[in-house]
Amino acid sequence: MALLSLSEIGKRFGATVALAGASFTLEAGEVHALVGANGAGKSTLSRVVSGHIQPDSGTISLDGRLVRFAGAREAIRAGIAIVTQETSLAPDLSVLENIMLPRLGMPGRLDWRAMRHDAERLIARLGAEAGVAVGARVRDLTIGQRQIVEILKALALDSRIIIFDEPTAPLSPHETKLLFGIARTLAAGGHGLVFVSHRLEEIFALSNRVTVLREGKVVADAVPTRELTQGELIRLMVGRELTDIYARADKKTRRERGAPVLQVRHLFAPPRVRDVSFTVHAGEILGLAGLVGAGRSETLETIFGLRPARGGTIELDGKPFAAASPRQAIRAGLGLIPEDRRTQGTVPDFSVRENLLLAHLGAHRGLGLAYRGRDSAVRRLLALLGLPEQRLLDANLLTFSGGMQQKVILARWLVLSPRLLLLDEPTRGVDIATRSSIYALLRHIAAEGVACIVVSSDFEEVIGLADRIVVLSDGVDVTSIPSEMVDIEKLGMFAAPRSSAERTHTVLEGLAERYHGMAFWISIEGGRVFCFDRVGVASAADPGFAGGGFPEITETRIPAALAQRAAGFVTEPGGGLTTLLVPISSGGGHEFGLIGLTLAQPPTDLDARLLARGIAHDLEPEVGREAA
Amino acid sequence: MSETAQAPGRATVHRRFVSRLLHLLATQIELRMVLLIIVVMAVLSRISPYFLTSNNLLNVMDQSVIAGMVALGQTLVILIGGIDLSVGSLTGVSAIVLGLMFPKFGVPAAVLGCLVTGAALGLVNGVIITAGKIAPFVVTLGMMSIGRSMAYVLSGASSIGNIPSSLAALTADSVFGIPVDFLCLIVAYAIAWYFLTFAKGGRTLYAIGSNVEAARIAGLSINLWSIAAYVIAGLMSAVAAVFLTSKILSIDPIGGAGEELDAIAAVVIGGASLFGGRGSIIGTLAGVFIMVFIRNGLNLLNVSPYWQGTAIGSIIIAAVLVERLLSGGRSRA
Repeated sequence: MALLSLSEIGKRFGATVALAGASFTLEAGEVHALVGANGAGKSTLSRVVSGHIQPDSGTISLDGRLVRFAGAREAIRAGIAIVTQETSLAPDLSVLENIMLPRLGMPGRLDWRAMRHDAERLIARLGAEAGVAVGARVRDLTIGQRQIVEILKALALDSRIIIFDEPTAPLSPHETKLLFGIARTLAAGGHGLVFVSHRLEEIFALSNRVTVLREGKVVADAVPTRELTQGELIRLMVGRELTDIYARADKKTRRERGAPVLQVRHLFAPPRVRDVSFTVHAGEILGLAGLVGAGRSETLETIFGLRPARGGTIELDGKPFAAASPRQAIRAGLGLIPEDRRTQGTVPDFSVRENLLLAHLGAHRGLGLAYRGRDSAVRRLLALLGLPEQRLLDANLLTFSGGMQQKVILARWLVLSPRLLLLDEPTRGVDIATRSSIYALLRHIAAEGVACIVVSSDFEEVIGLADRIVVLSDGVDVTSIPSEMVDIEKLGMFAAPRSSAERTHTVLEGLAERYHGMAFWISIEGGRVFCFDRVGVASAADPGFAGGGFPEITETRIPAALAQRAAGFVTEPGGGLTTLLVPISSGGGHEFGLIGLTLAQPPTDLDARLLARGIAHDLEPEVGREAA
Repeated sequence: MSETAQAPGRATVHRRFVSRLLHLLATQIELRMVLLIIVVMAVLSRISPYFLTSNNLLNVMDQSVIAGMVALGQTLVILIGGIDLSVGSLTGVSAIVLGLMFPKFGVPAAVLGCLVTGAALGLVNGVIITAGKIAPFVVTLGMMSIGRSMAYVLSGASSIGNIPSSLAALTADSVFGIPVDFLCLIVAYAIAWYFLTFAKGGRTLYAIGSNVEAARIAGLSINLWSIAAYVIAGLMSAVAAVFLTSKILSIDPIGGAGEELDAIAAVVIGGASLFGGRGSIIGTLAGVFIMVFIRNGLNLLNVSPYWQGTAIGSIIIAAVLVERLLSGGRSRA
């Protein structure tokens, strides 16, 4: 019998359908991944399970008995706990007090010694690696350690079901690994774990089964993870019908991009932005992709004058440009749609009209408002956005949907006819219909010659929307690639934080040094090499591509080796460069590209098979499924 | 369906009118406040025949000037989500400056010195709060203590008398039967209303209080106008000091004590949110009047003055409660 089973769950928020008859079952002892694109309903579903949200329809049963949670407290009592990025711990209490918080609320004297003993027993259950001291103050812990405390708190309450809601986004690779170890220990001990994520790598590394949600419906119900490939999973998440929402211009018009508008060279704005260079042209939509913490938002904020640049140069129309404040940036023709609409975008006490004219007010020189002068622009924009004019202008912005609010904030900048728009997660929390119209709008303004830089965590969106993609990783730009040449997997490998790809990098360094050649991590597709990392100083062994490069095989210096992909060393015709390529894969058999070693001369005393096995072995813990 | 085809009946028109009025009442703070004042006046004139006499109304006008001036500055500070606890002390210290200056430099220079003192100390508040990113409550609490202490130090803890008649004329004279100081109050509020409604600075104050990050990204001058709010609050404290001196014809280092609480109370009764972004200058003026009316009414009814605090306090709490109910829980204060 299933530990937990949800059937035909429906939930609406206002006009938005978050869940449309979604079902889900969880068995004891499994890690069940709940997967979907942004807005697919996975967080809503997990919050239904945790009692934070009450469904409009459908049933929940626990151990075969129907249950109904009026709130999170009841779900906790029934043995269901949720671990999220933002933990619900009391930062000024100790780890012990947090773990035992429910006991502090009970009448009678506290038995501190018994509590300490119980807490230490729980920590021991997670393994010595958990590494949290019961006496530490929660404020002093890292986010990863806080999540472990949250898990301990759940265990102290005898929770049998633990939901992990995108827990790894803020974690370091080491912390992620630790968390996965704990998750496996818990599953082995008979707990049922729900793992909500959109990181494919992690889903394949951790989960036993996968349920995929799309637009509130289940499109793949509890499929064993090993029966899926990454490509299939992505197709399930995104669905074919989504591909045309990006309103892509056809290739011909896209080629005609204008003059460079903004040129960023070696931008340095610590701590997040370390060395970022790119150029965006008039009429071009440039995607800025990367993982959380890669420095994308910070790059935009530095350009816009919200944070100081400590090094590098920015040129606007070929002239040096350094905005000391947003006002200077705005007067130079820039606009910024910030990441968090609620805290950085909307002015809740202003009408829609004043929200629309907020950037105008900032740019306006003079003591008055000069709202009248913008009346015709406002009317034109409202028509363009498909917003009803009269009803809307005097109304409070907060009474409208998130998508509508986002349109108004976008329009706030269009009032000023900007030359360069910086958009930070422009479709976060926006329903799919509005997303599609925002994409169309961006295409429209790009076609009018406006340069756009779009930051998005949604790789699918970046690929669909942008003409060209610059990938940031740990504050450094690693590649600049036309969007039609790249897919989600490759973007993910480019974006892998240099710190988490450290093991790969270390292996490459070892190879390059030991054999005096060049070692690299690549992927080959459609006659093209995508190079994610390259190490080595022996220029004689240069394979003809560097990290971030994506040349055609014929353009490289090792075309024969790349074309053959043989098991042993391949020497290029005419002698000289000799290359060994080793495919690497996760435990589930999914390809993670190739590790290559190019030498200036054919080796005399190297056993290719042994070397390949060594490389695969060295990399296994990084990309493969770890032994528990 | 057939109903819509006919001309709307009288009952429908009536219902529409009522619902429209209720809607206006729910959305317009100003309208609500004016209505409340009319109700308070009606009730008071009912219980005391003396209330609506011109003598008493002059008395009420007279009493509203000082609180009104201070509350004006306080409104701007509260609109940006700040608070100024130092306004009473600033009235005290700038009055002392006025008193020390007029014997030597004459009344115009002394008034100027008084106003500069208030504005300068307000500037100190604003700069420390904005540049030092310190909670306004803490900074102005400190300034409250410093201001009062300076008032004692500068005056040698004694009162100053012999106020020149030109100063006294400010509160003694009247134009068309309305006292000059009350006219000044109305003019000040009219300017403030115009500023808050039609000037970039005024809208910036609202935007800062409502969402400072959004305002910053939109290129508004956050620091400039945040500091300006405290400067104006200090300046209005000094204006109040001039009128206070003119009225009581003596300057005492304790002058203006407790004004800050009256000012905050008037702003809150007037419908402003202590979290900023919401409030109106007309609401504040109405709040001032309501407080003065209640005090005046209690006096007329021969109620012990010790009850005044209870009455005013209850009104403050009731006002915030009503605001919350009307704004459907959106209110944040």
